[in-house]
Amino acid sequence: MPKHGGSPRIWRWLCAGLVAALPIGTAVALHQPDSSRALGTLHDDSAVFLPAAPQNTAADQAVRLQALLGQHSALAADLMRSRIRGDDDFVQAANAALNKNTDDMSALVGQLFGAGAAKVFSPMWSQHIVGLVSYAGALADHNDSERKTSKAELLEYENKLADFFSGGSKGRLSQADAREAVHEHVDHLTGQADAYVDKDYATADKLYRQGFQHTYALGLALANALLPQADVAVLQQPIWRLRSQLGELLAEHAVLIEDTTRAAAGNTPDFTAAADEMNANTQDLSAAIGTLFSASAGKQFQGMWASHVEALVAYGAAAAARNQDRQQAAKARLVTFEGQMSAFLGGATAHKLTDAQYAAALRDHDQMLMQHADAYAAKDYVKAHDIGYDTYNHMFDLARTLADAFGESVAEKLPQGGAQTGYGGEAGLVATW
Amino acid sequence: MKARKLRVPLLAAASLILVAVAAVVILTAVRSPGSAHPAAGSAGPAGSEPNPADSFKSVRSYAEVPAPVRIRIPAMHIDSKLINLGLRSDGSVAVPPRTDIAGWYDGGPRPGQPGPAVILGHVDSKDGPGIFIDLHAMKAGTLIQVERADGSSVTFAITKVQKVSKTKFPTDLVYAPTLDPTLRLVTCGGSFDPAKGSYRDNVIAFAVET
Repeated sequence: MPKHGGSPRIWRWLCAGLVAALPIGTAVALHQPDSSRALGTLHDDSAVFLPAAPQNTAADQAVRLQALLGQHSALAADLMRSRIRGDDDFVQAANAALNKNTDDMSALVGQLFGAGAAKVFSPMWSQHIVGLVSYAGALADHNDSERKTSKAELLEYENKLADFFSGGSKGRLSQADAREAVHEHVDHLTGQADAYVDKDYATADKLYRQGFQHTYALGLALANALLPQADVAVLQQPIWRLRSQLGELLAEHAVLIEDTTRAAAGNTPDFTAAADEMNANTQDLSAAIGTLFSASAGKQFQGMWASHVEALVAYGAAAAARNQDRQQAAKARLVTFEGQMSAFLGGATAHKLTDAQYAAALRDHDQMLMQHADAYAAKDYVKAHDIGYDTYNHMFDLARTLADAFGESVAEKLPQGGAQTGYGGEAGLVATW
Repeated sequence: MKARKLRVPLLAAASLILVAVAAVVILTAVRSPGSAHPAAGSAGPAGSEPNPADSFKSVRSYAEVPAPVRIRIPAMHIDSKLINLGLRSDGSVAVPPRTDIAGWYDGGPRPGQPGPAVILGHVDSKDGPGIFIDLHAMKAGTLIQVERADGSSVTFAITKVQKVSKTKFPTDLVYAPTLDPTLRLVTCGGSFDPAKGSYRDNVIAFAVET
């Protein structure tokens, strides 16, 4: 008799049914900029709007593909973990969120590479998800034979996916490289599940973060392999590199703060491991600010960002304890953070956006994460996952706005023209061009 | 026709039975005792156990990359100390006061930090060759080692060398903010303008961290 969960085949059937229940184009529309959902509009007491970035070019869509792949990795890991716990309510909510991500990704694949590609991609991707859940089910059941079978099936699905990507690249992405990339994705997810079932949360969460980063990079590799060369050249421009990289860091922040506040609100044993990965992201984000503006700016940013993270965790822990006074105290700390950080961002970007616009966007971020923690504490997992999904998209959109403001501000201070590094006139005698 | 009419409700009934059976199996399984992870992801008993989140402190130590102090390029027989360079009053980058040492533009990232670090050196002077006289001839794969103030070092490999007109200097490709840890070496090249006493072009080597 299996210890956790039912027959792996039943779970596979369930997941296949849930995946099939959300056909492409009929479930969730691809996230699109919409003035009614623009940044800085969640709170009722403000009419502050951040400019919505255009998102219709191939480069925009490629960067969005990166974000959706990263989100897939986190949601798939969440689903596998809930399957291991045998937590049915959580499984249902996590599966719904993952299906939403799959629909968004399939729609985007259609926009980027054509409807035919999306039609082939979608069922392959769904099989891949079913395989991941089967693997987690075998772990939950301590059924090593079934685990090995699931892993072999997963690799079979992955090979089909890899061959699909490689075939579409017209020689730019070799079959071997494509297979290596998707196998690594599966290894991250199965590895984190293996560690999770062993209660080795430090390893599990390290792989959780590595898996996110790997799939984010995979999105760019696929875009580089499958898009026309002119679009690939655009993606290599510095501003697009910054949009992609800042998008990754802030989207990762959203994933990890959700995971950390979830652990805080649930008082679960993986909290410390989740918090360690959150801290690593905070250091990377601060290093990015240090690169863009100065080391002192990076330090200043990190102090404020640390307060932000601490306040959100404190809010989650207070929600777990049902202590409203502590929740209010955490909220007050967040208000202070929003004021300080918006002034910092306004100053760093020569007020290309107003402090009020920055504050409104930060307030939206904080409010969503507090609602997210409340939903977990109340065991309303459907709501928690819905808010988590929106929080991720909000953070990604904010990253685009910030990357543009940062890029423009930094560009104004760069050295002008070439360098005067030669006066003899002899170099031409030895250099032939 | 009759057979087809009969098969639809039969299939529907069979599907309902399957769903019901699956639901019973799943619910039974979820409620089965002995779960290894009763609450690792979902909310546990509120307030019944100490919560490590109550004592959480976010990391506040900023990991600053040490300043570069020396550059070594064996393929160019270079082993030179580095000086710091800023901007001139006209907004152009400053250059080393001597031709036998290189300089790091300290308004940008440090080598090994996310972003493009830029090191400049002279190709020559009226007295003879400068430290970067051979930069134009470097091939992809040439290694560059930068030593830092704490004794650590970081190694880069050249990916390409380009000659560009100073009037069309690609500021964004050399200095612009990305988060890729890269290095650019800059010197002069191309034809010499005797009237101005300077070269018309710059030579730029692009390198990535190994």
